[in-house]
Amino acid sequence: MLAEILEIRDSGLAAAAQADSDEALEQVRIQYLGRKGRFSTLTPRLPLLPPEERPRVGELINESKRAIEEAVAARSAQLARERLERLGDTEAIDVTFPGTPPALGRLHVLTLVQREIETVMETLGYHVEIGPDVETDWYNFEALNLPVGHASRDMQDTFFMNASEELLLRTHTSPMQIRAMERLKTPPIYAAIPGRTFRRDATDPSHLSQFMQVEALAIDEGITVGDLKGTILYFAQSLWGADRRIRIRPSFFPYTEPSFEFDLSCGVCGGEGCRTCGGDGWLEVGGCGMIHPNVLRNGGIDPERYSGFAWGFGIERIAMLKYDVDDIRLFYENDLRFLEQFA
Amino acid sequence: MRVSYQWLCELAGVNDVPPDRGAQVLTMAGWNVESVTLLDLSEIRVGGVISLEPHPTSRNPLWVYQVDLGNETRQIIAGVDNAVPGSLVPVALPGTTVPNGAVVRDLKIAGVAGQGMLCAADELLLGDDHSGIMLLDEGEPGQPLDELIPSDAVLDVEVTPNRPDCLSHLGLARELAAALGRSLPGDFMPPFTGGIEPPGTELVKVDIEAPDLCRRYIGAVISGVTVGASPRWLQRRLRLCGVRPISNVVDVTNYVALEYGQPLHAFDLERLEGKRIIVRRARSSERLLCLDGEDRTLTPEMLVIADAERPVALAGIIGGEESAVTDSTTEILLEAANFDGVNVRATSRAIRLRTEASSRFEKGLSPELALAGARRAATLLSQVAGGQVHVGWADEYPRPQEPVRVHFRPEQIDAILGVHVPLEEMEAILQRLGFQVRVQDGDWDVLPPVFRLDVTMRADVAEEVGRIYGYDKVPPTLPGRRRTRWVPAAPSVERRLDSVRHALAGSGLTEVLTQALVDGSLLDRMGLGEGMLQVVNPVSEGQDSLRTSLLPSLLEVAAANRNRGRAAVFVFEIGRVYLRRPAEPEGQPAEPQRLAALRSGLATASGGRSAFLELKGALERTIDSLAPLKLTYERSSSPLFHPGRCARVLLQGRQLGYLGELHPTVLEMVDLEGRAAALEIDLEPVLAADPTRRARPLPRFPAVNRDLAVVVAERVEAASLQATIESAAGELLESARAFDEYRGGQLPPGCKSVAFALTFRTQERTLTDPEVDAVVQRIKTALAERHGATFRE
Ligand SMILES: [Zn+2]
Repeated sequence: MLAEILEIRDSGLAAAAQADSDEALEQVRIQYLGRKGRFSTLTPRLPLLPPEERPRVGELINESKRAIEEAVAARSAQLARERLERLGDTEAIDVTFPGTPPALGRLHVLTLVQREIETVMETLGYHVEIGPDVETDWYNFEALNLPVGHASRDMQDTFFMNASEELLLRTHTSPMQIRAMERLKTPPIYAAIPGRTFRRDATDPSHLSQFMQVEALAIDEGITVGDLKGTILYFAQSLWGADRRIRIRPSFFPYTEPSFEFDLSCGVCGGEGCRTCGGDGWLEVGGCGMIHPNVLRNGGIDPERYSGFAWGFGIERIAMLKYDVDDIRLFYENDLRFLEQFA
Repeated sequence: MRVSYQWLCELAGVNDVPPDRGAQVLTMAGWNVESVTLLDLSEIRVGGVISLEPHPTSRNPLWVYQVDLGNETRQIIAGVDNAVPGSLVPVALPGTTVPNGAVVRDLKIAGVAGQGMLCAADELLLGDDHSGIMLLDEGEPGQPLDELIPSDAVLDVEVTPNRPDCLSHLGLARELAAALGRSLPGDFMPPFTGGIEPPGTELVKVDIEAPDLCRRYIGAVISGVTVGASPRWLQRRLRLCGVRPISNVVDVTNYVALEYGQPLHAFDLERLEGKRIIVRRARSSERLLCLDGEDRTLTPEMLVIADAERPVALAGIIGGEESAVTDSTTEILLEAANFDGVNVRATSRAIRLRTEASSRFEKGLSPELALAGARRAATLLSQVAGGQVHVGWADEYPRPQEPVRVHFRPEQIDAILGVHVPLEEMEAILQRLGFQVRVQDGDWDVLPPVFRLDVTMRADVAEEVGRIYGYDKVPPTLPGRRRTRWVPAAPSVERRLDSVRHALAGSGLTEVLTQALVDGSLLDRMGLGEGMLQVVNPVSEGQDSLRTSLLPSLLEVAAANRNRGRAAVFVFEIGRVYLRRPAEPEGQPAEPQRLAALRSGLATASGGRSAFLELKGALERTIDSLAPLKLTYERSSSPLFHPGRCARVLLQGRQLGYLGELHPTVLEMVDLEGRAAALEIDLEPVLAADPTRRARPLPRFPAVNRDLAVVVAERVEAASLQATIESAAGELLESARAFDEYRGGQLPPGCKSVAFALTFRTQERTLTDPEVDAVVQRIKTALAERHGATFRE
């Protein structure tokens, strides 16, 4: 019987070593070690042996089973190792196949630009003030040094909301200058004012009758034209890069004195002059100036003690400059093929 | 304003600055030059017409000219025959670029060669005449044309409305000179050069009956005038500035307006009834036949110039036909007046006529300018129309202009500009601009020139100093003084709305931005007209009302994208709507911030239901991004929505808006096929809610999960089943959520099965199955009693 045991053991060890898959190995385990395995068939014959031989034979059966168990485990580990080694071949995918992104919407490009503008201003300590789109004559015109009948009102052709022309769609964000002064009362006042504005203009690739503006307002002791220039420069460099320059050109707005237009050095030619900037190296961005003493007074602020500046521009204009968009109407056509180009 | 650069330089005493440089200097001093058009005639030659004959074969009317160019003869083809043998004409030879930009080439028409072009006035930018070849009245064949007509440049200058004094060559010349560091050579006020008797005051009587609207009226009498064409130099300057020459008398008034900025008018004195001028308000329904041929009915708000009988001109706007200068006029009354800008603007708007004169007056001119203009015009009239100027002009000037002095200390100017301007330089700048400066102990007292009504305070003087000193010399600084007060930082509404945008974008919706002005009739048809505000003066019907809802605009976005090949959109917008306040319908409206979302292009009813649930899920995620709030829903109806698929969205019992599939008739109105689901809610209550969140301790014991399939009648809603489950379960139930709906199979007709996922847990220990079984049994009993529910295993 001993020889028989050794024969079973050796064939089991050989079968384990030759098994080429986990399934084959499992078959080996069942065939030799299972409840009906080949060793199990020996067990009923044990009582037939002489008593003195039984421990030795029993011992040999157990040793043999352990040996086969170990061989199965070793072979199993070896098969696992080999599988890992071949993984690169067996489970290779085409990594160049196009990705399938999860559905995700986009934010509107003007939202992105407005946020960028506000973030820059907030880092300078400005806070955002929001006001009504339907304004009164007082806040939109009169308080801003634009009296009734004044020719300067023609610069801002207006949509009226009632026959008395008392209620109107604001032509600029500047009414919020007065409202901000009224709300905050005592300088320092540093506010950024974004919002919709309306002008009764024809629509073309560079004009809309409804558009967005942002304006920045600073009122404090000793504010100068230099501070205005510096703030605009900080803003321009934050938005477009430290190599950009700005210039201010004298102009006229009834609510500022002195008044300016401000230009940004052209990013295409670096100020040398090219087709983008029309040859003079500068791009018009917006208007600005030192707040007119009458406007401060109308906001309840003493112009002898405080001075301030305001500057503003169209958000669409900034977005056009930033993303090289050549038709302002695209922002409101909401063609998804356009909107999906922005992050 | 169109400016002749040559004229400008002559007045400024500048002869060493090319036009481009001059334009740049003006721009940086505040006179934005929008374009510089060079007018170089050195390439154009004078040609003498030798002969012309019709083109032998061409079917178009063409003429073949032989033209003498001094040392050669050229054959040139032209389309007109107004030049005859002996005519002198401008000739552009092949290779030349004509001032209007055209390049002349050799050509051959039907076998006949042409070697150049005979130019029309408009091609040389010498006028707007394109009807024929320009005929010259002097010159030698072959001579360069710029020897007859000097080269020039036309500058298009943007003059800001506060500076009507610079709607003139003299005004801009002063600015150019000052910016170049020079002074104007001449005096502002021209001298009065002689005159004949009797005095004008004996020939005409002037009265101002409305001194509030007319601050000054000068009437100068000039007799012995011969009306005819102006000299070429005068015509040429007018043309360069875009003014068409008419006759010497009219041309002089236009010329002086361009030179001094003072509008003038000439009456035929013999046609003034009673030799009277009365400046008064019009009487009701008085009429005036104006120079533009319009017969206008006047109102008492309008100021007129009248003779003894009737109005003869609308003050400051346009003259009357019946008192106008004609070819036979010999005696004229030259008007140089000052009218109230606000009144001129109002009348000009009322009659919808803006003239060269009205656009100057409406900006507010100095009455001192009237005398300067009158003197200059009188001198010119005697030169170019042979007139004799009478002494003793009528000059009604009831309230002479008060000088406005401005006092300051120069350091106050520095404090506005943010740069130290040396005192001598500050003084020199002001003097170059015509200011008189008096300095005493560091106090400055300046008197602006009489024509500058815009300078009244320190900031105005700072502007004058700054723009001539040069703002490029002001160093950029940031305001950064020691602050003792501040407003604490707080996230703006826009930043808070960003979390809404991100939650929606993360749910697959793309943000759109539509306009606030929309088509009011569409809103009306959709039943959204209540509380709508309409524009009194819209530019188009498509933009005549303020929106009361965002959804119509989103539907239009869907339709527009469908037209471009995108059948389905999944979009949202955050924006304001505008609603009249019932308590104050004429005041400023409410402008609540709304959120709307739309999924379009759904094919089936079940697709509609999925989109509804998807929007609902996105909405809850979005609201949660702002504040930890729970929304509830009630079956509802609204004209926009599908009658069986519409819910009111509520926050703590308060209605926020609607969620549902859109009504088929609404989709039809914007021509959208298929189905669409949408929502629109007010964000204000959500923004006002407390956004505070606190962390909860994590559970220490495991949960027990059970699913329960509840079979109920079709009309029983998930929310009421949930309420029953929650009230029956007691404390051990952690959450219950409906996750599936099933119909058909072995279910009785008219019934549905709603599957709930139940989670049980307590903070004290691990729950046993028998405990949970007991609670589930309680839940089942309650569902059966309250809703007649049975249960599927
Ligand atoms: Zn450039």
